[in-house]
Amino acid sequence: MAFLRQDPRLGVKAVVLAAVLIALVALPPLAEPYVLHVAIVVLINVVYAEALYVIMRMGYLSFGHAGYIALGAYTSALLATKLDVSVWLGFLAGGAVAAVFAWLLGMITLKLRGIYFSLSVFAFAEVVNAIFRAFDVFGGPAGIANVPRPMFFGTRLNSHLGFYYVVLAAAVVSLAFLYRQASTRFGFTLLALRTRDTEALAESVGIAAARYKTLAFVASCFFCGLMGAIHGHYLRFVSPFVFTFFFSTDLVIFNMVGGLGSFWGPMAGSVLLTALGEQLFAAGYYKSLVYAVVLLVVILVLPGGLIDLPRARQAWTERRQRFSKAPVTTAER
Amino acid sequence: MEIYLPLLVQGLAIGVLTGILYVLVALGLTLIYGILHIVNFAHGEIYMLGAMAVFYLHVVGGLPLVPTLAAIVLLSVLLGVAVERGVFRSLRGQWLQLVVASVGISLVIQSVGWIVFGIQEKSVPSYLPGIVQFLGVRLPRERLLAAGVAAVLVAGLYLLVYRTKAGLAMRAIEEDEETARMLGVNANRVASLSVALGFVLAAVAGAFVAPVYSLNPGMGLEPILMSFLIIIVGGLGSITGTVLAGLLVGVLQSVGAVLFGAEAAYGIVFVVMIAVLVFRPAGLLGQV
Repeated sequence: MAFLRQDPRLGVKAVVLAAVLIALVALPPLAEPYVLHVAIVVLINVVYAEALYVIMRMGYLSFGHAGYIALGAYTSALLATKLDVSVWLGFLAGGAVAAVFAWLLGMITLKLRGIYFSLSVFAFAEVVNAIFRAFDVFGGPAGIANVPRPMFFGTRLNSHLGFYYVVLAAAVVSLAFLYRQASTRFGFTLLALRTRDTEALAESVGIAAARYKTLAFVASCFFCGLMGAIHGHYLRFVSPFVFTFFFSTDLVIFNMVGGLGSFWGPMAGSVLLTALGEQLFAAGYYKSLVYAVVLLVVILVLPGGLIDLPRARQAWTERRQRFSKAPVTTAER
Repeated sequence: MEIYLPLLVQGLAIGVLTGILYVLVALGLTLIYGILHIVNFAHGEIYMLGAMAVFYLHVVGGLPLVPTLAAIVLLSVLLGVAVERGVFRSLRGQWLQLVVASVGISLVIQSVGWIVFGIQEKSVPSYLPGIVQFLGVRLPRERLLAAGVAAVLVAGLYLLVYRTKAGLAMRAIEEDEETARMLGVNANRVASLSVALGFVLAAVAGAFVAPVYSLNPGMGLEPILMSFLIIIVGGLGSITGTVLAGLLVGVLQSVGAVLFGAEAAYGIVFVVMIAVLVFRPAGLLGQV
């Protein structure tokens, strides 16, 4: 763990991380099923948001990640219900199928500037959705019902608690990979591709920008497909009306509200908003309204997102002190 | 495979009529893209609001059609200016934030729409009932009317952009903002104008399709999706490209639906978009 040792605040970080992990492993047996349900949804959304962050960090925007999540969920659900394939293999197959489609589209669109990519991914997701709706092989508008939970040493994980640990394990492994990836040579290169100028600079020193971007998109969609497969088996059904445009925008909202400045931004955004959203679940369209209003307020007032709050507060105080008539020395002790 | 020829011709004609309405929506997007360099995701919701305004003012309120249309134009100008000043202006130059903000606006309008208008599908009676028969092709009159209005608006937009001073200012900002500002072009006003115009086009398109489709707050998704495909195929920011691509996409979708079914037609249009991205990334008539 050489990379951890370089961080001067290692002690605090490691203690907090360990405490959170222990809590996530040890507390659930005491929790009620509803709390477990919220925890599962939060974990799934955190992985989606962090997977999307891989490409948002390099300045690309996707309004179609729900399409890749749907590809993962449908692949695994079809394998389990039609071909009786082991659910565990289905999870990996879900990720793999999403990754292959991401590679195909990414190869074509990632050479172009950002907006072409956003529009074509959006169109791709809508077409995927239309195809799942149209053909009976994929269950049509009704989707696929009776998607089984995985077997674990001879027992089916039908309880919330059992499945919670599956989600937790998948989320921890995925997040560790996604976190680690950001501080490798690959991750730093992605950061360098954020603007057109720096991309040109990177290419001038021999970095194959398009290949890096495609690989980042493939990784992002792999984790979405993997988690999508798990998501489908959690819900026990997959339907085209789950993985819609709104699903994709939620993930973008988690990222923007949390802040793109660090890995912890999308995580903060997805934990807070998912927990809030689950409370508003019964309120239907009010949830979407609340998300959208929070998004607009954050974009306009707090461009760095929630993660940027401490710095922004400091900046606001400084500005107030500068403009206030009171002597600086008595202000804000 | 045997194809019933008149059916194909019928599909072609409907395709052109639908295409020109797509053009109306997509042109608004092109206009806003040309000036602000953002793709406005809220465009489909403006189209929805146009259709809903017809239902509430004309059908429920009993207002005659012409004042209804005037009200729609006025409201969309106000909304366009408000959105440009309130949201887009303070985010200028940050494309990612701008696009996400437009999605935010789209979600706000749509969720408020579901809450206020309800989930009940609404329908608007035909403005111009009846069918025109011509060379074996049967076309509903209201579709011809909608396409006629759209054609007039497209022509009007051409005149505005290429023949008036305001249009000159828009093209100047699009070409070189800094120089245009130095020469005294008011960039803020041009931005407001283009967003307002774009909104008017979308709302009017919505108003004229209101009798054709049943209305619900989610109805904006299909035209916005088609518009995105159109502006990619036609080339971002190119007006003529948008018009051609709009007609092409309309025909492809309609003929494709006759031959292979509606969902497969989406697939065909999508494949065309991918082909354009591979072989001519700037679009049919766009410049990079």
